[in-house]
Amino acid sequence: MAESISRSLRDGCLEGEHAPALTIEDSLACPLGSHVFDHFLANLASQIADGTSQARGLVLVALNRSPSFYIDLLRRKGVDASLVDKWVRILDCYSDPLDWKDRIPPLMNVQKPSTRENVSFFRDVRDINKLLSSVLDLGKGFVGQGKTRFAVAVDLVSNLLRHTSLPSVAGLLNNLRSNDQISCIFWLIHSDLHEPRVSTALAYVSTVVASVQPIMQLTDEHRSRRDFLWLEKNSCKAKFYVRLKRRNGRVKLLAEELHMDQVGVKFAAVTSENSFVNKSLLPKVQFNLQLSDQERVDRAKVVLPYEHQGNGEAIQIYDGRRSLSDDQKDPHLVQPSTFSVMTDAQATSGNGEIHYIRDSDDEQPDSDEDPDDDLNI
Amino acid sequence: MATAADGRLQGARSANTSSFSRARSSPSAVLPSPPNPGVKLGPNGATFVSSGIPDLDTILGGGFLLGSLVMVMEDADAPHHLLLLRNFMSQGVVHRQPVLFASPLRDPRAFLGTLPSPVSSSKEHRQRDTLVDHNQQDQEKGLRIAWQYKKYFGDQQSSQNHNRDVKQEFSNDFDLRKTLERQHVQYIESMSIQDIPHLTILRDRCSNFLSGLPRSDGGNLSAGRIAIQSLCAPQCGYAEMDWDLVAFIRFLRSIIRSSNVVAVVTFPTSFLLPAFLKRWQHLADTLLSVRAIPDEDKDMAKLLTGYQDMLGLLHVHKVAQNNSQVPTVLEASTFSLKLQKRRSLVLERLNQAPVEASSGTSYSTSGTCSGPSKGSSLDF
Repeated sequence: MAESISRSLRDGCLEGEHAPALTIEDSLACPLGSHVFDHFLANLASQIADGTSQARGLVLVALNRSPSFYIDLLRRKGVDASLVDKWVRILDCYSDPLDWKDRIPPLMNVQKPSTRENVSFFRDVRDINKLLSSVLDLGKGFVGQGKTRFAVAVDLVSNLLRHTSLPSVAGLLNNLRSNDQISCIFWLIHSDLHEPRVSTALAYVSTVVASVQPIMQLTDEHRSRRDFLWLEKNSCKAKFYVRLKRRNGRVKLLAEELHMDQVGVKFAAVTSENSFVNKSLLPKVQFNLQLSDQERVDRAKVVLPYEHQGNGEAIQIYDGRRSLSDDQKDPHLVQPSTFSVMTDAQATSGNGEIHYIRDSDDEQPDSDEDPDDDLNI
Repeated sequence: MATAADGRLQGARSANTSSFSRARSSPSAVLPSPPNPGVKLGPNGATFVSSGIPDLDTILGGGFLLGSLVMVMEDADAPHHLLLLRNFMSQGVVHRQPVLFASPLRDPRAFLGTLPSPVSSSKEHRQRDTLVDHNQQDQEKGLRIAWQYKKYFGDQQSSQNHNRDVKQEFSNDFDLRKTLERQHVQYIESMSIQDIPHLTILRDRCSNFLSGLPRSDGGNLSAGRIAIQSLCAPQCGYAEMDWDLVAFIRFLRSIIRSSNVVAVVTFPTSFLLPAFLKRWQHLADTLLSVRAIPDEDKDMAKLLTGYQDMLGLLHVHKVAQNNSQVPTVLEASTFSLKLQKRRSLVLERLNQAPVEASSGTSYSTSGTCSGPSKGSSLDF
């Protein structure tokens, strides 16, 4: 599933369409979102370097970590350093987002931060329009004007939301998405830092929502006992839920597990429980008669108490006193009057059984099919 | 062709009209065509305009009521509300009704370039209609043309019908693969609502639109349409001004109520706070919602027939009832959106697929007609 996300980021957008947008969200219970972001970033960068992706360059808006961190990260992941310089531009909103350094009188031995040519400083995070135009300028700067596109990654939208309002951030992301030169865009957000409407707003703007959920849910007893097992488990493993909006207007829900190790994040198919289906997407069909699979199987297995079972065997008088397995000692415990199919089935621990006691043994076969035949009036 | 349409309309109307329904008889009778085919008169002084989707008109009991506010709750995952808007606006274009379109896109005219054009072939209409239409059968019998000449005569007749179609039909089928030509959409007014800081601009635009409409005089009824897409989309500047949005909707509803305009407003529900979502739902006269369906869901494929062709689901929450105390009770309120022949939008009732048990009891809820069942009360 993470593969499919990487593929969709690599393929970018078709002509006339908005760019695919990925939201990665995590929370305090499971703070592996940054690692997931790094994973996708490194993948995309290596694909750009190889030339396999639609995007010809990457603009990274660094709000949460310093640009040097990213350059090191890309180098560690094996992207060639010269290609990083050529095809990756970093907009540094981390060092001085609110332009304080100019206002503070300079210290004596202040070290000038080493400037790299692909890192540009951005000093006014509050001005969203300026941010938008800087991103677009950076992108145009290295892919040119024509048809080539570039990708954008925003490190932490939560940091942006500190300084500006939600509509302006949503507007920024939407404008970036609908710009002709953007191939794909992805961002990270810590969903528990904000009101729920922030997550829904970003989900509205994006085409893929990937959320990192804890493997073990946090309960009150965990909190009180300071369950270190829980902490340990949740810090290296998580569930990865993906909600894809497809082009045909349908939603695809996927689930995976992710593990942290030395190198980075690894994705694996879900091991333990069944796949997670969002029940709210099922419509309310009239007369909600859906049977679960298990119920259907049980119902199919029920042997109906007809003399003719319809399978070509000799007519066997089905006698409830002799149960299907001869081990059962006391069938008389069963109520003979209940003939119901489903309610009984559910009462007897999910196995469909029909208990039918014949009136007497010397009845002819098929004679019980119309008890009124006995009447001699 | 007009007969098929009339037959359908007749069926729809006889569901909830008094005994004073004007009987549209056979097409051979010389009747003056209604002054404006885009507007239909209904019971209790109601006037309807078509929504652009014939099935939806039937479900709602005639169409969108003039003077009502239709709100469509969007699903964040799927763009089906755009289908409804497109058909709504195209219908307005076909009937030459003034249309105002407001959208959070930077360039709303780009969206106007995707409006579908009406289906031109009338033979398709005849084949599609599964209700028995006696008038038409009589007509076919009356022709008595040798079979090898029928194809020539058929074409001529269809072209005749086509002319009558364009003039007389209340609601058209739209071909979603073909778009309307530029010259037709030129006159649609459009505005972008993304960058406006507050709603007074939109409010003024709506008032101007309404005052600019031709007054309806005597027999000549005119109608106007307002289409607002994604009113509270998160990227709009005013998106967090909850009370202002509620005030705007109340304003819109009040100016429309005494005019001959129908407004369709779509909005993303996930972004609204729950209390405000309730307020918006109560302010609507007609409330619809579109929902996405999960892809490749085996459970759902087993549950519903026709799962493969479904685009999404449409749910009707509320139907407008002005001037009437009688509520419209729908037989079914959830419908599936499908594309018929990949081009026109149909709504079908949801049929539950037969259960796979060996006894083979089928719990399908709708009738067994093979074509799309339109939920008409004429189904036996």
